[in-house]
Order: sequence, then structure tokens, then C-alpha cells
Amino acid sequence: MNTFPMLSAIVFLPLLGALFILILPDRPESGRRTSLAVTLVDLALVVLLLFSNSGTPSGQWLRVEDYAWIPALGIRYTLSLDGLSLMLLLLTTFLGVLSTLISWNQIKEKTRSYYFFLLLTLTGILGVFVATDLFLFYFFWEIQIIPMFFLVGIWGHEARRRTTIKFIIFTMTGSLFMLIALIGLYTVHGRQTGIYTFALSPLMETSLTLDIQGWLYAAFMLAFAIKIPMVPLHTWLPDTHTQAPTAGSVILAGLLLKTGVYGVFRFAAPLFPLAFRTSMPLLMVLGLAALFYASWIALSQTDIKRLIAYSSIGHMGLVVLGLAAFNSITLSGSLLQVINHGVSTSALFILVGILNERIDSREFKDFGGLWKQMPVFSAFFLFFSMASLGLPGLNNFVGEILILIGTYRAHPVFSAIGFAGLLFGVIYVLRMVQDALFGELRGAVSLLRDVNARETLILGTLALGVLFLGLYPRPVLHLFDGPIRLLMETVS
Amino acid sequence: MKTLLLLLILFPLGGAAINGVLGRHLPRRVVEIIACTALLCSLSMAATAIIKIGGESFNFVLFEWFRAGDLSVSMSIHFDALAAIMALMVTFVASIIHLYSVAFMRDDPDFVRYFCYLNLFTFSMLVIALADSLIFVYLGWEGVGFCSYALIGFWYGDPVKATAGKKAFIMTRLGDIGFGVAVALLFTWFGTFSITHINPQAATLSAGSATLLTLLILFAAMGKSAQLPLTTWLPDAMAGPTPVSALIHAATMVTAGVYLLMRLFPVIQQSPQGMLVIACVGAVTAFYASLAALAQRDIKRVLAYSTMSQVGYMILAVGAGDIVGGMFHLLSHAFFKALLFLGAGCVIQALSDEHDIFKMGNLHKYLPGVFWLMLVGALCLSAFPTLGGYFSKDRILLSTFIHPGASYKLFWALGMSAAFLTALYTFRMFFIAFPNRPDGRRSSEVKPIPRFMTLILIPLALFALADGLLNLPFGMGKRWLGHFLASVPGAVVDMNATTGMFLGMAILSASLSLLGIILAWFLYGRPKTVKEPNPHPVLSSAFYLDAAYRLLVVRPYQWAATLLWKKIDEKQLDQNLESFGVSFNAASVVMRLWTTGRLSTYLKAFLVGLVGFLALFVGRVTLW
Repeated sequence: MNTFPMLSAIVFLPLLGALFILILPDRPESGRRTSLAVTLVDLALVVLLLFSNSGTPSGQWLRVEDYAWIPALGIRYTLSLDGLSLMLLLLTTFLGVLSTLISWNQIKEKTRSYYFFLLLTLTGILGVFVATDLFLFYFFWEIQIIPMFFLVGIWGHEARRRTTIKFIIFTMTGSLFMLIALIGLYTVHGRQTGIYTFALSPLMETSLTLDIQGWLYAAFMLAFAIKIPMVPLHTWLPDTHTQAPTAGSVILAGLLLKTGVYGVFRFAAPLFPLAFRTSMPLLMVLGLAALFYASWIALSQTDIKRLIAYSSIGHMGLVVLGLAAFNSITLSGSLLQVINHGVSTSALFILVGILNERIDSREFKDFGGLWKQMPVFSAFFLFFSMASLGLPGLNNFVGEILILIGTYRAHPVFSAIGFAGLLFGVIYVLRMVQDALFGELRGAVSLLRDVNARETLILGTLALGVLFLGLYPRPVLHLFDGPIRLLMETVS
Repeated sequence: MKTLLLLLILFPLGGAAINGVLGRHLPRRVVEIIACTALLCSLSMAATAIIKIGGESFNFVLFEWFRAGDLSVSMSIHFDALAAIMALMVTFVASIIHLYSVAFMRDDPDFVRYFCYLNLFTFSMLVIALADSLIFVYLGWEGVGFCSYALIGFWYGDPVKATAGKKAFIMTRLGDIGFGVAVALLFTWFGTFSITHINPQAATLSAGSATLLTLLILFAAMGKSAQLPLTTWLPDAMAGPTPVSALIHAATMVTAGVYLLMRLFPVIQQSPQGMLVIACVGAVTAFYASLAALAQRDIKRVLAYSTMSQVGYMILAVGAGDIVGGMFHLLSHAFFKALLFLGAGCVIQALSDEHDIFKMGNLHKYLPGVFWLMLVGALCLSAFPTLGGYFSKDRILLSTFIHPGASYKLFWALGMSAAFLTALYTFRMFFIAFPNRPDGRRSSEVKPIPRFMTLILIPLALFALADGLLNLPFGMGKRWLGHFLASVPGAVVDMNATTGMFLGMAILSASLSLLGIILAWFLYGRPKTVKEPNPHPVLSSAFYLDAAYRLLVVRPYQWAATLLWKKIDEKQLDQNLESFGVSFNAASVVMRLWTTGRLSTYLKAFLVGLVGFLALFVGRVTLW
């Protein structure tokens, strides 16, 4: 086991699958079947990893794979795994399987290239979550974006072109600054020690003046803040979500946004602890602002996907609050919330996708009264909506309560405002449920098919995930303990 | 004991789970049997538990829910006398209502969803009653809130009903902000969420902190128990099926706020100012709601305002420091109000969904069973001397009167006036709706209802009549309830009042009750054609509170949502960022050439890049 490069296998298996699809004949089955097989095997590998690492790690990493890559520049190929990465790998491969399943009949054109890009994105995201060489991280960071660009641009809805360009410009702008800062850090470190390296742990030792640290931190944070996204850099997200195909939305909300939080946790905070500490109050204010602002705007949306997109921005605001309040309780809450949001928001996007296949619309005015015709679908819809508004027993509650109770210790006012912010969340969720499920049937809708076996399987799996995370989040939280302790030591 | 209590709460959850997952494939009768059996089993557990408890209390942890840093949350139980009584009452009333629902919902195709929610509700309510960890309490607290939402809007086809459910959820969640902050505060100070750990340490709280906590918990209770100013959801909640109104919006959920205050009474006790505010909220709501009840035409809305007013008395009891009195009234109210609602449900169904009392009449003739049951309920609600509600209300008024402080005399006066108004509005409703009168319903307009619906109410009526025996101020079994609850922290068994005061108060409240009934007889009772009433817009709209919320809160909120979206998010943020992006785009002509090419170009470029990367990587690895 120890000699087998498990992490590389997990990261590159989707890429291999993607390349394999290209040599297959161009039929819908070949793409989706390969994609399903590959993502399932990948998921199995991560689960294997999960159970082979049940013991408490002694050092920071559960597993490291380290090879020289471009020695001339001090670039190494280093993949490292800790509890946080492990959970994120699990989430990624899990959502990878579901993304394939939900695209099964939805994608009718250019299926081969579709699954090619889908798998390619997965490789990029998986890489982001384990790379600990900054150059390698940057490499994966870019890899994940470009296939998304095509997924939205080719298989998206009516305004996909414009939207996808907006998406790429936003994210590229952020990563460009990050690249500059990354090279800057590399140079400073090299000058100081004579060793030029992109490896995370030596770079953490670099002594930086507060000035330089501030600038580098700001550049990193710009990339991450756009990805999370933090208000006011969020405007690409509602557009992109609206236009993306269902699997695109799932990957976007469930995974891509998480890379932003992960970046702060893994890179921005430990590399620039002083700057991070200085920015905490600002981050808390921005997090709370996002919670209120986005939840408020969500209420007035007429497009159901936009509503969920704004709800994502609000939820991520709470995650940022937890990151910035920075104690072991809030950090646990934030990381858990990253997983929670990945599960429940993906579920909502999948539900909307299912609806979209039956009623060719995303507008609330075309829905209503769905419960009468699609009771199983509606029950799932209500269930995941309740998860989204933080009903105890379901997943989001645990994360939210940890963040807010933890925040109360040092910042009671912020915490109280956060509790009030949750109410704003309730309002738009209930509006969404009512406009979609209740009332009389609207539009020219006559007969709608309820969910089929494949869709029930997808939703049922997600529902079990929601219940598990809501009732027994301890194993997950336990995985986060080590990484959180280390980060807290580094930053303070 | 552990197994017993575990089964007590798990039976309804199991019923909900089975019906929720499999119910669609089961025959109607099986679904009904599962739901009702779950409740009856739970009831027998509660009954056994209360026999076995014997003055002790039991604490145990079911399992650790989550842990982070030094924060640990468990699903834990604190079963004491208070919890035992509450659990027994909840399972008893819920059992009757489940059985009644079988008949009431006999023609409704959505019975699976109905029984599933009803089971889930009972589970959540039992969690509130038994839970030790406040986070676990919160699970029940939100659980009942959700079930209430789902059941108010049960007939979702009607947007008015769906909206009523939404309103109830949002307003109670508004109160929950108080709950959340209070829990965070308690954890910051005591490092625990456990009621049994918090209560003994309550004495260490400073007066200011205790007041802050009390006000926060009170705010949570106001939402759940529909106290001023968070009242307006309750009348609208009557949109739900009537058994739901009986269970959730009369007997159990709306008393959860009172129950929470009692569970944390040692904390509240530390703050005289806090208690003053509690008493004030209770007394004013009791008075306010009884005024509003005077002018309602919808039988369920009369009862809804009456519930609000009666819960006000319970809150007043807590504010006066008498949790025994509060619990006593909570029990009596649960019995007689459930009885009244279920009776009203019979009437509504017999009259083809008629809610307007002015369009009833002649029910003595055509629904004699319901007539007598409703008379029992109405007498209890009016606190007719020697019946259930009389002793409990009397005790609360006396506690308020003897509580030190001039303001409490004012609250007492409000409570007394409300007692008079209660008898008046109750018998206004009764005399208008039930006795025979020339313009009442004809026999052809009264549909037969299953006999079972009235028979099942008899136990409830007996309990309502006799529940004064639980805590008689004299004679055999004197103050049984008080002695039973004596081990509950903060409970006062015997009140510090002279016999003269006892007698005086008893006579005064008895005469107010009788006066109210007699006045109602003169105004509405004599058999004659009932005139359509003059509208009392101020009273019937409950002082325009709802309209004020709509004008001052709801509309501006919606308006601001659109404004933020259209004017700020799209106009300002998005366009600025986009114009920046456009200039950026224009500058990078090269990139543009790439991004407007054909798919094959992209793929080729990609492959080249990837192959390059892999080659480099593989090469390095082998060299290394």
C-alpha cells in the first residue's frame, strides 16, 4: 500500500478515463458508461483510503507522494493528504459519480467531449485538494477552470457564451494575481535562503515584512475570494449557475467554490499568518454582509437557479465568518459546512435539473402545484430545502451552530447578527418551496412524470448523506481536528 | 428507565419513518394502524415512566452528537417530574387526536403525508419535553416548527393556506434568534448545554446577565407561544386541518415556550426585572387576545385567540414565579382546548366546512353529542367554578396578586379582566353557534359524521372536567400536582397566602366567570334570530397588528430585496465589474482568438499541453 502512489492514482484516474473516452466511438453510451465506471472506481479508491487511515496521524500528513518535477526551478510534484483533503476527495468523487448520473439523459449532443471535460475538471479539482507544491497547486487550479469553461459554454443554456466568458475572466483575473504573488514569494524565499522552492512547508518559514506579506496575501485572497465567492466579487456566480448544465452547477457549487475556502485554509492563512490575522475583522464583516445581502436578494429572484446561486453566496458568507472568527469551534464548523453545503446545494441543483428536463423552464411562474403530480420529487425537494435552511437533524444545522456559537466567544455581536441572518435564509427557502411545490399547477403543464429509479437513487443517496452529516458528523469533525490544530499553531 | 424513555420518544419517530418511506405502498388502514399504534405504545411508556419516577430524576446520554474543540453536544435526556407530566399529557392528547384524525381525514387522499407529519410532530414534542441538552431541545423545537409549517399548509393547493404555514414558520424562527443567542451565551459562560448543569450554576449569574438571558429565552418563547408582539401567525395557523389545530396550536406546541421557561426557571429566577417583563407579556397578551376573541366570526379563530390568551396566563404564572400554577393551567388548557377544537372540527365537518358561527345554530337539535361536549369545553374555558380551568386560573391570579411589586397588581387586574372576557367570548361563541334558533341550520344542511368522532372525545371531556382534582387547594389529595412537582427546581407547592385571600380570590374569579356567562346569555343567548353583528374592525383585526407588520416589515423587506438586486447588484456591482472585464477582454486580442475557435482546436491545444506535462513528469520521475 505504501509504495503504491494512491493519491496520484486518484487524481489522474479521471484524466485517464477522459483520454480513454476520446478513443472510443462517439456514442452516448461510451461516454457516460466510462465516466460512471471511472468515477465509481475513484470513489472506491477514496473510500479505501478513508478506511486505511483510520488511525490518528502522528505528523501533519496522512500520506505524501513527492517526486522532483522541474528541479531547475525547484518545482516538485508533491501530493499530501490530511483529514481535510481526504473529506474533500470523498466529496469530489462522490459528486463526480452523481454528476455523471444526472447527465445520463440530459446531455444529448457531443456526449463524448462532454464526459471528457467532466472528467478533466474532476482531475483538476482533486489535484487542487492534495497538491502542496505551490506551482503544482497553481497548475491544478487552472486545470479545473478550463473544462468548466467548455461545460458551460457548450452545453449551457441560452446565454451560455457571454456567461462563460464572464466566468473565465473573473477566475483568471484572480489566478493571475495569485501566480504573480506565488512567484514573488518564491523569489523572496530563494533570496533569503538560497533555496528556490515552491514547496509549502519551507515557504511557510519565509520571513516577510508586513508590507510584502500584506500584498502577497491580498493577491492570494483575491483569487480565493472570487472563487468562494465573497461579496462584492460574486456577480459571476449567479450568471454562471443559471447557464450551466446541471452537472456544471453541481461541480460549481459543490466543488469549485470549495477550492476557494480550501485555498484560504491551506495556503493563504498559513503562508501569511500575520496578514491573515490582520484581515480577520474585515473578513468577518464581509462574511456577514454576504449572508444578509445574498439571502435578501435571493428572495426576489424569479429564476430558481439564480435563487439557489444567491443562497450559496449567503452560505459561503457564514463559512467565511467561521474561518475568520478563528477558533477550533468555528473552524470545525466552517470546514464541516463546506462539506454540508456541497451535499445539500448539489441536491437542490440536481432537483432543479430534474425539473428542467420535464418543464423547459427555470422560472417560478411556470412551476407551482408540483406536489400533486410529483409527490416523491416534492418530498425530496422539501427535505433538501429544510436541510438548506438549517433544520436540526439535517446537515447544515451542525455547521451553522458551530460557527455561530464559536463566534460568540470572542465576537458576541457578530454572532448575534449571524443568528439573525439565518432568518433571512428561512424566508427565501420557504418562498422557493411554496412557489415550486404548493398552490395550483401553472402554465401549460399537464402531466409530469415523477422521479424515475435513477433519479431516486441519486436523491436517496444524497438524502442519506444529509442525514448522516446531520446526525453523526463526529467522524468527519474528527478528521478535521488535526489540520485545524496545526493551522491554529501556525497562525498564532 | 433508559429503555423506557428511549422507546417513548422512538415509537412516534419509527411510525413517521415507516410511513414516510413505505406509506405510499401500504393500504390506508395499515398506515393508520401504524401511526396510532406508535402513539398508543408511546403513551403506555409515558404512563409507566410516570409511575416509576417517584420523586427522582433521571439523566442519561443517548449518544454524543458532535464535538469540536471544547464543545460537545450530546443527545441527552433529563427526565424529572415536570418532563414526566408533560410527556404524559403530550402522548395522551396526541393519541386521542391521532385516533380522531382517522375519522376526520377519512376522505382525504393525502393521509400518508398527514400521519407522517403528525407522528414526527409528536416525536419532536417529546424531545422538547425530555431533552437535557439545549441543542437537543432545539432539535425538537425546530422539529415541531417544521411540522407546524407543513401541517398548516397541509392543503397546499390553496395559496392562502400555504402562506399561513410560511408565516408561522418565519415568525417562530424570528423568536428562535433569541434561542440561538441564549444558547451561545450559556455555553460561553458555563461551557455546557445541559439544563441539569446550567440550573445549579444559575445562582452565579450576575443580575444583568440573568436579565439578558431571560429576555432572550422569553423572545424565543414569544415566537413559539404566540405572545405579543409575535402573535399574528397563530390565527392564520387555523388554516390547517382542525385536529392539527387542536394538537399543535392549542394543546402542545404553543405551550412549548412556557415549558422552556419552566425548564430554565432557576436562571429566570435570578432576574426580577426579567420576571417582571415575562409577567407583563403574559398579562397583556391574555387581555389583548381575549378582546380580539370577542369579535371573531370564525369558530377556529375564536379558539385561536383564546389559546393565545390562555397561554398568556401560563406565561404570567412563570413571571409571578409560580411554575406549579403554570403547569397546572398548561394541563387543564391542553384538555379543554383540545376538546373544544375537536368538537369544532365535528361541527365544521357536519356543516360542510362552515367556519362562521353566525351561520350555525340548531346544533343542539342535530348534533346533540357535540353540543354537550362543547358545553363542557366552554365551561372549563370560562373557568366555571369547580371545573378544570377554574382552579388553575385561580391559582395563577392569586400568585400574581401576592407577588411583591405594584406592577403585579396591575397584571392581576389585567388577568381578572381577561377572565371575565374569557367567559364572555366563550359563551358568545357557544350561544351563537349551538342552541336552537329559528334561523339556524336545517336538518338537510347537517351531514352525518362518524359516531367515533364524538365518542373519542369523551375521555378528553372527563379529564377536562376533573382535572381540577390534580391540585385541589383543599381536601383529599390536596395539591397533589404541587407535591409531585416539588422536586423541580423553583417549584413552590404552597402559596404564601392567607385563607382569606384564598377564599376572596376564589369567590371573585368565580363570580367574574359567572358574570361573563350571564352577560353572554343576555347578549346572545336567548333563542331568537341572531343579527349579523356590527363589525368591530379594531377588535376583529386584533388592533391591526397584522396589517401593521405587513405595511412596516413585509412590504419594505420585499421591496428592498428587489431594489438590492436590480439597483445594487446588477446595476452597480455587476456592471462595474463587467466593464472592467470588457476592457480586459478587448486588450487581450490573442486570448480572444483562442476562445472563439472551434471545439477541435481546443481539444488539440489541450492534448498538446497535457502530453507535454505528462512527458515532462514521467521523464523526471524516471530520471529521479
